[in-house]
Amino acid sequence: MANKGLVYEGCNFFRQRLVLSLLSGKKVAIQNIRSKDDNPGLRDFEASFIRLMDKITNGTRIEINQTGTVLSFQPGLLYGGSVEHECNPQRSVGYYLEALLMLAPFMKGPLRAVLKGVTNDQIDPSVDALKASSVPLMKKFGLDGEGLELKIVKRGMPPGGGGEVHFSCPVRRTIRPVQLTDPGKIKRIRGTAYSVRVSPQMANRIVDSARSILNKFIPDIYIYTDHMKGANAGKSPGFGLTLVAETTNGAFLCAELVSSPQGQGDPVLPEDLGRNCAKLLLGEIYRYTRVTGWTVSVGAALSKRGCNGGCVDSTNQSLSLLYMTLGQQDVSKALLGPLSPYTIEFLRHIRDFFQIMFKMETQKHAEDSQKGGDKVLMTCVGAGYTNISKTLK
Amino acid sequence: VKRPKVPPQPEEEEGEDDDDDEIEVSVGALQWKEGLAQKAAEAFVRQQAATPNLRKLVYGTVVQNEEDDEGEEELGGLFRVSRPEKSKRERADALDCSRFAPDASDDWDQEQMLDSIRDCFVTGTWEGDKD
Repeated sequence: MANKGLVYEGCNFFRQRLVLSLLSGKKVAIQNIRSKDDNPGLRDFEASFIRLMDKITNGTRIEINQTGTVLSFQPGLLYGGSVEHECNPQRSVGYYLEALLMLAPFMKGPLRAVLKGVTNDQIDPSVDALKASSVPLMKKFGLDGEGLELKIVKRGMPPGGGGEVHFSCPVRRTIRPVQLTDPGKIKRIRGTAYSVRVSPQMANRIVDSARSILNKFIPDIYIYTDHMKGANAGKSPGFGLTLVAETTNGAFLCAELVSSPQGQGDPVLPEDLGRNCAKLLLGEIYRYTRVTGWTVSVGAALSKRGCNGGCVDSTNQSLSLLYMTLGQQDVSKALLGPLSPYTIEFLRHIRDFFQIMFKMETQKHAEDSQKGGDKVLMTCVGAGYTNISKTLK
Repeated sequence: VKRPKVPPQPEEEEGEDDDDDEIEVSVGALQWKEGLAQKAAEAFVRQQAATPNLRKLVYGTVVQNEEDDEGEEELGGLFRVSRPEKSKRERADALDCSRFAPDASDDWDQEQMLDSIRDCFVTGTWEGDKD
Protein backbone atom coordinates (compact mmCIF):
# COMPACT_ATOMS: atom_id res chain seq x y z
CA MET A 1 0.00 0.00 0.00
CA ALA A 2 2.92 2.30 -0.60
CA ASN A 3 1.21 4.11 -3.39
CA LYS A 4 -2.48 4.68 -2.98
CA GLY A 5 -2.75 6.95 -5.99
CA LEU A 6 -5.23 9.75 -5.71
CA VAL A 7 -7.12 9.79 -2.45
CA TYR A 8 -10.63 11.15 -2.06
CA GLU A 9 -13.19 11.24 0.69
CA GLY A 10 -16.87 10.43 0.68
CA CYS A 11 -19.24 8.80 -1.74
CA ASN A 12 -20.14 11.87 -3.75
CA PHE A 13 -18.77 12.09 -7.31
CA PHE A 14 -18.15 8.37 -7.14
CA ARG A 15 -18.63 7.74 -10.86
CA GLN A 16 -16.42 10.63 -11.95
CA ARG A 17 -13.55 9.30 -9.94
CA LEU A 18 -13.74 5.78 -11.26
CA VAL A 19 -14.28 6.90 -14.86
CA LEU A 20 -11.34 9.29 -14.80
CA SER A 21 -9.23 6.66 -13.09
CA LEU A 22 -9.99 4.19 -15.87
CA LEU A 23 -9.22 6.73 -18.57
CA SER A 24 -6.03 8.04 -17.04
CA GLY A 25 -4.79 4.73 -15.65
CA LYS A 26 -4.26 6.29 -12.25
CA LYS A 27 -5.03 4.41 -9.13
CA VAL A 28 -7.67 5.91 -6.91
CA ALA A 29 -8.63 5.38 -3.29
CA ILE A 30 -11.85 6.60 -1.77
CA GLN A 31 -12.06 6.76 2.00
CA ASN A 32 -14.72 7.50 4.57
CA ILE A 33 -17.59 6.44 2.39
CA ARG A 34 -20.63 7.29 4.51
CA SER A 35 -18.42 6.58 7.50
CA LYS A 36 -20.67 8.52 9.86
CA ASP A 37 -23.90 7.33 8.38
CA ASP A 38 -26.21 4.99 10.28
CA ASN A 39 -25.82 2.66 7.36
CA PRO A 40 -22.14 3.03 6.49
CA GLY A 41 -20.29 2.02 3.39
CA LEU A 42 -21.10 1.53 -0.24
CA ARG A 43 -24.71 1.06 -1.27
CA ASP A 44 -26.02 -1.64 -3.54
CA PHE A 45 -26.20 0.66 -6.54
CA GLU A 46 -22.56 1.63 -6.13
CA ALA A 47 -21.57 -2.01 -5.86
CA SER A 48 -23.57 -2.61 -9.01
CA PHE A 49 -21.71 0.23 -10.69
CA ILE A 50 -18.36 -1.23 -9.67
CA ARG A 51 -19.38 -4.59 -11.11
CA LEU A 52 -20.28 -2.89 -14.39
CA MET A 53 -16.87 -1.20 -14.50
CA ASP A 54 -15.31 -4.57 -13.85
CA LYS A 55 -17.25 -6.12 -16.73
CA ILE A 56 -16.13 -3.61 -19.34
CA THR A 57 -12.49 -3.74 -18.30
CA ASN A 58 -9.78 -6.31 -18.08
CA GLY A 59 -7.49 -6.55 -15.09
CA THR A 60 -9.17 -4.02 -12.83
CA ARG A 61 -8.38 -4.63 -9.19
CA ILE A 62 -10.93 -3.54 -6.65
CA GLU A 63 -10.50 -3.79 -2.93
CA ILE A 64 -13.19 -2.86 -0.48
CA ASN A 65 -12.83 -3.10 3.26
CA GLN A 66 -15.22 -5.04 5.41
CA THR A 67 -17.58 -2.18 6.22
CA GLY A 68 -17.45 -0.84 2.68
CA THR A 69 -16.18 2.55 3.76
CA VAL A 70 -12.85 2.32 1.92
CA LEU A 71 -12.46 1.52 -1.74
CA SER A 72 -9.21 1.03 -3.56
CA PHE A 73 -9.46 0.96 -7.32
CA GLN A 74 -6.65 0.01 -9.65
CA PRO A 75 -7.84 0.53 -13.21
CA GLY A 76 -7.33 -2.09 -15.85
CA LEU A 77 -7.62 -1.97 -19.61
CA LEU A 78 -10.87 -0.71 -21.10
CA TYR A 79 -11.94 -3.75 -23.01
CA GLY A 80 -15.47 -3.20 -24.29
CA GLY A 81 -17.25 -5.94 -26.16
CA SER A 82 -20.66 -7.35 -25.34
CA VAL A 83 -21.78 -6.72 -21.81
CA GLU A 84 -25.03 -7.45 -20.06
CA HIS A 85 -25.70 -5.85 -16.74
CA GLU A 86 -28.50 -5.92 -14.24
CA CYS A 87 -28.52 -2.36 -12.91
CA ASN A 88 -29.60 -1.98 -9.34
CA PRO A 89 -33.06 -0.37 -9.31
CA GLN A 90 -32.10 2.09 -6.58
CA ARG A 91 -30.78 4.26 -9.41
CA SER A 92 -31.96 4.40 -12.97
CA VAL A 93 -30.04 3.12 -15.96
CA GLY A 94 -29.07 6.74 -16.66
CA TYR A 95 -26.74 6.62 -13.68
CA TYR A 96 -24.79 3.76 -15.21
CA LEU A 97 -25.16 4.96 -18.77
CA GLU A 98 -23.64 8.34 -18.09
CA ALA A 99 -20.39 6.63 -17.17
CA LEU A 100 -20.55 4.33 -20.18
CA LEU A 101 -21.02 7.31 -22.50
CA MET A 102 -17.80 8.74 -21.13
CA LEU A 103 -15.83 5.52 -21.46
CA ALA A 104 -17.23 3.89 -24.59
CA PRO A 105 -15.15 5.68 -27.27
CA PHE A 106 -11.91 4.69 -25.56
CA MET A 107 -12.40 0.93 -25.43
CA LYS A 108 -10.34 -1.72 -27.14
CA GLY A 109 -13.33 -2.96 -29.08
CA PRO A 110 -16.75 -1.41 -29.70
CA LEU A 111 -19.00 -1.61 -26.67
CA ARG A 112 -22.38 -3.28 -26.93
CA ALA A 113 -24.09 -3.04 -23.60
CA VAL A 114 -27.46 -4.36 -22.50
CA LEU A 115 -28.55 -2.61 -19.35
CA LYS A 116 -31.56 -3.78 -17.39
CA GLY A 117 -33.31 -1.88 -14.66
CA VAL A 118 -35.17 1.39 -14.21
CA THR A 119 -35.16 3.46 -17.39
CA ASN A 120 -36.82 6.62 -16.08
CA ASP A 121 -36.78 7.97 -12.57
CA GLN A 122 -36.88 11.31 -10.83
CA ILE A 123 -33.23 11.40 -9.81
CA ASP A 124 -31.02 10.74 -12.80
CA PRO A 125 -31.22 11.84 -16.41
CA SER A 126 -33.43 9.29 -18.11
CA VAL A 127 -32.42 7.14 -21.02
CA ASP A 128 -34.73 9.21 -23.24
CA ALA A 129 -32.94 12.40 -22.27
CA LEU A 130 -29.52 10.90 -22.87
CA LYS A 131 -30.66 9.57 -26.20
CA ALA A 132 -32.06 12.93 -27.23
CA SER A 133 -29.21 15.17 -26.10
CA SER A 134 -26.03 13.18 -25.42
CA VAL A 135 -26.00 11.11 -28.56
CA PRO A 136 -26.16 14.15 -30.90
CA LEU A 137 -23.43 15.76 -28.80
CA MET A 138 -21.21 12.70 -29.22
CA LYS A 139 -21.65 12.99 -32.97
CA LYS A 140 -20.15 16.45 -32.82
CA PHE A 141 -16.99 14.94 -31.43
CA GLY A 142 -16.68 12.59 -34.38
CA LEU A 143 -18.39 9.62 -32.80
CA ASP A 144 -20.85 9.00 -35.57
CA GLY A 145 -21.58 6.19 -37.90
CA GLU A 146 -23.98 3.33 -37.66
CA GLY A 147 -22.27 1.98 -34.56
CA LEU A 148 -23.66 4.64 -32.24
CA GLU A 149 -27.04 3.61 -30.98
CA LEU A 150 -29.12 3.91 -27.85
CA LYS A 151 -32.35 1.97 -27.89
CA ILE A 152 -35.05 1.52 -25.27
CA VAL A 153 -36.35 -1.99 -25.72
CA LYS A 154 -38.38 -2.19 -22.53
CA ARG A 155 -39.40 0.55 -20.19
CA GLY A 156 -39.06 0.10 -16.47
CA MET A 157 -40.39 2.56 -13.95
CA PRO A 158 -39.36 2.70 -10.31
CA PRO A 159 -39.56 0.98 -7.91
CA GLY A 160 -39.86 -2.29 -9.79
CA GLY A 161 -37.79 -1.57 -12.86
CA GLY A 162 -37.71 -4.27 -15.46
CA GLY A 163 -36.64 -2.07 -18.36
CA GLU A 164 -34.01 -2.86 -20.94
CA VAL A 165 -31.73 -0.55 -22.87
CA HIS A 166 -29.31 -1.38 -25.65
CA PHE A 167 -26.32 0.85 -26.09
CA SER A 168 -23.61 0.48 -28.66
CA CYS A 169 -20.78 2.84 -29.43
CA PRO A 170 -17.92 2.77 -31.91
CA VAL A 171 -14.33 3.25 -30.76
CA ARG A 172 -12.10 6.04 -31.92
CA ARG A 173 -8.37 6.45 -31.89
CA THR A 174 -8.64 10.14 -31.27
CA ILE A 175 -11.45 12.53 -30.50
CA ARG A 176 -12.07 15.49 -32.73
CA PRO A 177 -11.63 18.95 -31.23
CA VAL A 178 -14.79 21.04 -31.32
CA GLN A 179 -15.89 24.65 -31.48
CA LEU A 180 -19.33 24.74 -29.93
CA THR A 181 -19.68 28.46 -29.60
CA ASP A 182 -22.76 29.52 -31.52
CA PRO A 183 -25.97 27.82 -30.45
CA GLY A 184 -28.21 29.30 -33.14
CA LYS A 185 -31.96 29.56 -32.76
CA ILE A 186 -34.44 26.91 -31.85
CA LYS A 187 -36.05 25.46 -34.92
CA ARG A 188 -38.09 22.57 -33.59
CA ILE A 189 -39.23 20.84 -30.46
CA ARG A 190 -39.55 17.11 -30.21
CA GLY A 191 -40.52 14.93 -27.34
CA THR A 192 -41.63 11.57 -26.09
CA ALA A 193 -44.58 11.09 -23.78
CA TYR A 194 -44.50 7.59 -22.41
CA SER A 195 -46.80 5.57 -20.26
CA VAL A 196 -46.55 2.04 -18.95
CA ARG A 197 -49.08 0.01 -17.01
CA VAL A 198 -51.50 2.95 -16.98
CA SER A 199 -54.14 4.05 -19.44
CA PRO A 200 -52.61 4.90 -22.84
CA GLN A 201 -54.71 8.02 -22.69
CA MET A 202 -52.27 9.43 -20.12
CA ALA A 203 -49.65 10.06 -22.79
CA ASN A 204 -52.17 11.94 -24.94
CA ARG A 205 -53.19 14.11 -22.01
CA ILE A 206 -49.53 14.96 -21.38
CA VAL A 207 -49.00 15.86 -25.03
CA ASP A 208 -52.01 18.17 -25.15
CA SER A 209 -51.03 20.12 -22.07
CA ALA A 210 -47.38 20.44 -23.09
CA ARG A 211 -48.35 21.63 -26.56
CA SER A 212 -50.70 24.22 -25.15
CA ILE A 213 -47.68 26.06 -23.74
CA LEU A 214 -45.09 25.42 -26.39
CA ASN A 215 -47.33 26.26 -29.34
CA LYS A 216 -47.11 29.93 -28.40
CA PHE A 217 -43.52 29.92 -29.58
CA ILE A 218 -43.08 27.61 -32.49
CA PRO A 219 -45.39 25.54 -34.65
CA ASP A 220 -42.89 22.77 -35.36
CA ILE A 221 -43.61 20.57 -32.37
CA TYR A 222 -44.03 16.85 -32.42
CA ILE A 223 -44.38 14.81 -29.29
CA TYR A 224 -44.43 11.08 -29.80
CA THR A 225 -46.60 8.98 -27.58
CA ASP A 226 -44.98 5.78 -26.51
CA HIS A 227 -47.18 3.31 -24.75
CA MET A 228 -45.51 0.03 -24.02
CA LYS A 229 -47.46 -3.08 -23.16
CA GLY A 230 -47.02 -6.49 -21.66
CA ALA A 231 -43.47 -7.66 -21.18
CA ASN A 232 -42.10 -4.36 -22.51
CA ALA A 233 -43.80 -2.32 -19.83
CA GLY A 234 -41.62 -3.31 -16.90
CA LYS A 235 -42.87 -4.06 -13.45
CA SER A 236 -44.28 -0.76 -12.17
CA PRO A 237 -46.77 1.75 -13.53
CA GLY A 238 -45.79 5.28 -14.43
CA PHE A 239 -45.67 7.95 -17.10
CA GLY A 240 -43.52 10.88 -18.05
CA LEU A 241 -42.40 13.32 -20.69
CA THR A 242 -39.06 14.21 -22.25
CA LEU A 243 -38.84 17.36 -24.36
CA VAL A 244 -35.97 18.39 -26.61
CA ALA A 245 -35.45 21.70 -28.33
CA GLU A 246 -33.16 21.57 -31.35
CA THR A 247 -31.39 24.65 -32.63
CA THR A 248 -30.33 25.57 -36.13
CA ASN A 249 -26.74 24.77 -35.21
CA GLY A 250 -27.51 21.36 -33.82
CA ALA A 251 -27.52 22.06 -30.11
CA PHE A 252 -30.03 20.05 -28.12
CA LEU A 253 -31.67 21.24 -24.93
CA CYS A 254 -33.52 18.75 -22.89
CA ALA A 255 -36.08 18.84 -20.08
CA GLU A 256 -37.97 16.00 -18.51
CA LEU A 257 -40.40 15.05 -15.79
CA VAL A 258 -41.53 11.68 -14.50
CA SER A 259 -44.51 10.72 -12.38
CA SER A 260 -43.91 9.78 -8.77
CA PRO A 261 -43.12 6.12 -8.20
CA GLN A 262 -46.04 3.95 -7.25
CA GLY A 263 -46.88 4.36 -3.60
CA GLN A 264 -44.37 7.15 -3.02
CA GLY A 265 -44.84 10.88 -3.10
CA ASP A 266 -47.87 12.81 -4.26
CA PRO A 267 -49.77 11.54 -7.25
CA VAL A 268 -49.22 13.65 -10.35
CA LEU A 269 -51.84 14.58 -12.92
CA PRO A 270 -50.68 14.08 -16.49
CA GLU A 271 -51.87 17.59 -17.39
CA ASP A 272 -49.75 19.14 -14.66
CA LEU A 273 -46.79 17.03 -15.63
CA GLY A 274 -47.04 18.10 -19.25
CA ARG A 275 -47.37 21.77 -18.39
CA ASN A 276 -44.56 21.71 -15.83
CA CYS A 277 -42.26 19.89 -18.18
CA ALA A 278 -42.95 22.46 -20.91
CA LYS A 279 -42.09 25.18 -18.40
CA LEU A 280 -38.90 23.40 -17.48
CA LEU A 281 -37.93 23.43 -21.13
CA LEU A 282 -38.71 27.14 -21.36
CA GLY A 283 -36.53 27.63 -18.30
CA GLU A 284 -33.71 25.76 -19.93
CA ILE A 285 -34.11 27.81 -23.10
CA TYR A 286 -34.27 31.04 -21.13
CA ARG A 287 -30.98 30.43 -19.37
CA TYR A 288 -29.48 28.99 -22.46
CA THR A 289 -30.08 32.03 -24.56
CA ARG A 290 -29.25 34.66 -22.02
CA VAL A 291 -25.87 36.01 -22.92
CA THR A 292 -24.92 38.54 -20.28
CA GLY A 293 -22.32 38.02 -17.66
CA TRP A 294 -22.93 35.91 -14.60
CA THR A 295 -25.98 37.36 -12.99
CA VAL A 296 -25.62 34.85 -10.23
CA SER A 297 -22.54 34.59 -8.15
CA VAL A 298 -21.05 31.14 -8.34
CA GLY A 299 -21.52 30.74 -4.63
CA ALA A 300 -25.24 31.02 -5.14
CA ALA A 301 -25.03 28.84 -8.21
CA LEU A 302 -23.35 26.19 -6.15
CA SER A 303 -26.12 26.09 -3.67
CA LYS A 304 -29.42 26.70 -5.32
CA ARG A 305 -29.66 28.26 -8.70
CA GLY A 306 -29.70 26.00 -11.68
CA CYS A 307 -28.86 27.97 -14.76
CA ASN A 308 -28.37 25.71 -17.70
CA GLY A 309 -27.79 26.09 -21.36
CA GLY A 310 -25.23 27.28 -23.81
CA CYS A 311 -24.39 25.03 -26.66
CA VAL A 312 -24.49 22.11 -24.33
CA ASP A 313 -27.35 21.49 -21.96
CA SER A 314 -26.86 20.96 -18.27
CA THR A 315 -26.81 17.17 -18.18
CA ASN A 316 -24.07 17.01 -20.79
CA GLN A 317 -21.69 19.59 -19.39
CA SER A 318 -19.36 16.98 -17.93
CA LEU A 319 -19.48 14.75 -20.98
CA SER A 320 -18.53 17.55 -23.35
CA LEU A 321 -15.75 18.75 -21.06
CA LEU A 322 -14.33 15.23 -20.83
CA TYR A 323 -14.26 14.78 -24.60
CA MET A 324 -12.62 18.19 -24.94
CA THR A 325 -9.96 17.15 -22.44
CA LEU A 326 -9.27 13.91 -24.22
CA GLY A 327 -9.23 15.45 -27.69
CA GLN A 328 -6.26 15.90 -29.95
CA GLN A 329 -3.71 18.50 -29.01
CA ASP A 330 -5.76 21.30 -30.38
CA VAL A 331 -7.97 24.01 -29.00
CA SER A 332 -11.54 23.08 -28.17
CA LYS A 333 -14.20 25.55 -27.20
CA ALA A 334 -17.66 25.08 -25.82
CA LEU A 335 -20.24 27.53 -24.60
CA LEU A 336 -22.00 26.34 -21.48
CA GLY A 337 -24.61 27.74 -19.21
CA PRO A 338 -23.46 28.43 -15.67
CA LEU A 339 -21.63 25.41 -14.37
CA SER A 340 -23.47 22.96 -12.19
CA PRO A 341 -21.85 21.95 -8.89
CA TYR A 342 -21.33 18.52 -10.37
CA THR A 343 -19.45 20.01 -13.31
CA ILE A 344 -17.33 22.22 -11.09
CA GLU A 345 -16.20 19.16 -9.19
CA PHE A 346 -15.63 17.36 -12.46
CA LEU A 347 -13.30 20.15 -13.58
CA ARG A 348 -11.32 19.73 -10.39
CA HIS A 349 -11.10 16.02 -10.95
CA ILE A 350 -9.93 16.53 -14.54
CA ARG A 351 -7.15 18.69 -13.16
CA ASP A 352 -6.20 15.95 -10.69
CA PHE A 353 -6.16 13.16 -13.24
CA PHE A 354 -5.05 14.87 -16.46
CA GLN A 355 -3.42 18.11 -15.29
CA ILE A 356 -5.63 20.03 -17.68
CA MET A 357 -7.18 23.29 -16.66
CA PHE A 358 -9.82 25.09 -18.63
CA LYS A 359 -9.87 28.72 -19.51
CA MET A 360 -13.20 30.15 -18.44
CA GLU A 361 -14.59 33.35 -19.82
CA THR A 362 -17.91 34.69 -18.76
CA GLN A 363 -19.73 36.18 -21.68
CA LYS A 364 -21.30 39.53 -21.06
CA HIS A 365 -24.21 40.81 -22.96
CA ALA A 366 -25.51 44.26 -23.71
CA GLU A 367 -27.57 45.40 -20.76
CA ASP A 368 -30.52 46.72 -22.70
CA SER A 369 -31.25 43.37 -24.33
CA GLN A 370 -34.23 41.49 -23.00
CA LYS A 371 -32.42 38.20 -23.32
CA GLY A 372 -30.38 38.87 -20.17
CA GLY A 373 -28.41 35.90 -18.90
CA ASP A 374 -25.10 34.27 -18.59
CA LYS A 375 -22.86 31.76 -20.22
CA VAL A 376 -19.35 30.52 -19.84
CA LEU A 377 -16.97 29.91 -22.70
CA MET A 378 -14.80 26.97 -21.80
CA THR A 379 -11.55 26.63 -23.67
CA CYS A 380 -8.87 24.01 -23.37
CA VAL A 381 -6.11 22.33 -25.29
CA GLY A 382 -6.76 18.62 -25.51
CA ALA A 383 -4.46 16.19 -23.76
CA GLY A 384 -3.70 14.49 -27.06
CA TYR A 385 -5.12 11.29 -25.66
CA THR A 386 -4.78 8.37 -28.04
CA ASN A 387 -6.65 5.16 -27.63
CA ILE A 388 -3.70 2.82 -28.01
CA SER A 389 -5.67 -0.27 -27.16
CA LYS A 390 -8.00 0.14 -30.13
CA THR A 391 -7.63 -2.85 -32.40
CA LEU A 392 -6.41 -2.07 -35.87
CA LYS A 393 -8.25 -3.39 -38.83
CA VAL B 1 -36.43 44.81 -13.33
CA LYS B 2 -34.17 47.47 -14.71
CA ARG B 3 -30.72 47.23 -13.23
CA PRO B 4 -29.02 50.61 -13.29
CA LYS B 5 -25.29 50.76 -13.57
CA VAL B 6 -23.64 51.53 -10.29
CA PRO B 7 -20.18 53.05 -10.27
CA PRO B 8 -17.80 50.45 -8.86
CA GLN B 9 -17.10 51.38 -5.29
CA PRO B 10 -16.00 49.41 -2.29
CA GLU B 11 -18.99 47.59 -0.91
CA GLU B 12 -19.00 48.61 2.72
CA GLU B 13 -18.30 52.25 2.10
CA GLU B 14 -21.15 52.57 -0.27
CA GLY B 15 -23.53 50.92 2.11
CA GLU B 16 -22.67 53.43 4.79
CA ASP B 17 -22.99 56.34 2.43
CA ASP B 18 -26.43 55.24 1.41
CA ASP B 19 -27.54 55.12 5.00
CA ASP B 20 -26.21 58.59 5.72
CA ASP B 21 -27.88 60.09 2.68
CA GLU B 22 -31.12 58.47 3.60
CA ILE B 23 -31.13 59.98 7.08
CA GLU B 24 -30.36 63.47 5.87
CA VAL B 25 -32.85 63.46 3.06
CA SER B 26 -35.74 61.74 4.80
CA VAL B 27 -38.72 63.87 5.57
CA GLY B 28 -41.56 61.46 6.20
CA ALA B 29 -41.28 58.63 8.68
CA LEU B 30 -41.60 56.02 5.95
CA GLN B 31 -39.08 57.65 3.65
CA TRP B 32 -36.69 54.73 3.99
CA LYS B 33 -39.18 52.49 2.34
CA GLU B 34 -38.97 54.38 -0.90
CA GLY B 35 -37.19 52.76 -3.74
CA LEU B 36 -36.54 49.52 -1.93
CA ALA B 37 -36.58 47.63 -5.19
CA GLN B 38 -34.10 50.11 -6.61
CA LYS B 39 -31.81 49.63 -3.65
CA ALA B 40 -32.09 45.88 -3.86
CA ALA B 41 -31.22 46.04 -7.52
CA GLU B 42 -28.18 48.17 -6.77
CA ALA B 43 -27.04 45.84 -4.07
CA PHE B 44 -27.43 42.96 -6.47
CA VAL B 45 -25.33 44.61 -9.15
CA ARG B 46 -22.70 45.48 -6.56
CA GLN B 47 -22.59 41.89 -5.43
CA GLN B 48 -22.16 40.81 -9.00
CA ALA B 49 -19.24 43.13 -9.49
CA ALA B 50 -17.63 41.61 -6.44
CA THR B 51 -17.96 38.06 -7.77
CA PRO B 52 -14.48 36.65 -7.89
CA ASN B 53 -12.89 35.17 -10.91
CA LEU B 54 -14.63 32.01 -12.03
CA ARG B 55 -11.37 30.21 -12.60
CA LYS B 56 -10.32 30.94 -9.06
CA LEU B 57 -13.61 29.61 -7.80
CA VAL B 58 -13.21 26.36 -9.62
CA TYR B 59 -9.50 25.76 -9.28
CA GLY B 60 -8.64 27.87 -6.28
CA THR B 61 -7.54 26.12 -3.15
CA VAL B 62 -10.48 24.97 -1.12
CA VAL B 63 -10.28 25.86 2.52
CA GLN B 64 -10.88 22.52 4.13
CA ASN B 65 -12.57 22.45 7.44
CA GLU B 66 -10.73 19.72 9.29
CA GLU B 67 -12.15 20.52 12.67
CA ASP B 68 -14.93 18.00 12.42
CA ASP B 69 -13.31 15.48 14.69
CA GLU B 70 -12.16 17.94 17.30
CA GLY B 71 -15.62 18.94 18.32
CA GLU B 72 -16.60 15.43 19.29
CA GLU B 73 -17.52 14.72 22.84
CA GLU B 74 -16.17 11.73 24.61
CA LEU B 75 -18.24 9.67 26.96
CA GLY B 76 -16.26 8.35 29.89
CA GLY B 77 -13.08 8.79 27.90
CA LEU B 78 -13.94 5.75 25.89
CA PHE B 79 -16.70 6.33 23.42
CA ARG B 80 -17.21 9.06 20.95
CA VAL B 81 -20.53 10.64 20.27
CA SER B 82 -21.29 10.22 16.61
CA ARG B 83 -22.85 13.44 15.47
CA PRO B 84 -24.94 14.02 12.40
CA GLU B 85 -22.92 15.04 9.39
CA LYS B 86 -21.67 18.56 9.16
CA SER B 87 -21.61 20.68 6.06
CA LYS B 88 -18.35 19.58 4.54
CA ARG B 89 -18.87 15.92 5.19
CA GLU B 90 -22.40 16.24 3.99
CA ARG B 91 -21.11 17.42 0.65
CA ALA B 92 -18.57 14.64 0.48
CA ASP B 93 -21.27 12.07 1.12
CA ALA B 94 -24.03 13.71 -0.86
CA LEU B 95 -25.94 12.02 -3.63
CA ASP B 96 -23.85 11.46 -6.73
CA CYS B 97 -26.15 12.96 -9.33
CA SER B 98 -25.42 15.04 -12.39
CA ARG B 99 -28.85 16.56 -12.72
CA PHE B 100 -28.89 20.29 -12.19
CA ALA B 101 -32.14 21.32 -10.53
CA PRO B 102 -33.71 24.23 -12.37
CA ASP B 103 -34.53 27.51 -10.79
CA ALA B 104 -37.98 27.35 -9.29
CA SER B 105 -38.35 31.09 -8.89
CA ASP B 106 -39.03 31.74 -12.56
CA ASP B 107 -42.75 31.96 -13.16
CA TRP B 108 -43.58 30.79 -16.64
CA ASP B 109 -47.20 31.79 -16.36
CA GLN B 110 -46.27 35.43 -16.79
CA GLU B 111 -46.46 36.91 -20.24
CA GLN B 112 -43.33 38.92 -19.47
CA MET B 113 -41.27 35.77 -19.01
CA LEU B 114 -42.63 34.24 -22.17
CA ASP B 115 -41.75 37.36 -24.12
CA SER B 116 -38.21 37.26 -22.83
CA ILE B 117 -37.36 34.16 -24.83
CA ARG B 118 -39.37 34.84 -27.95
CA ASP B 119 -36.32 35.74 -29.99
CA CYS B 120 -34.60 32.49 -29.16
CA PHE B 121 -36.79 30.71 -31.66
CA VAL B 122 -36.53 30.86 -35.43
CA THR B 123 -39.95 32.46 -35.35
CA GLY B 124 -38.58 35.45 -33.44
CA THR B 125 -36.78 38.46 -34.88
CA TRP B 126 -33.33 37.84 -36.28
CA GLU B 127 -30.29 40.00 -35.99
CA GLY B 128 -29.73 42.19 -39.04
CA ASP B 129 -26.73 40.34 -40.42
CA LYS B 130 -28.19 36.86 -40.20
CA ASP B 131 -31.09 35.89 -42.35
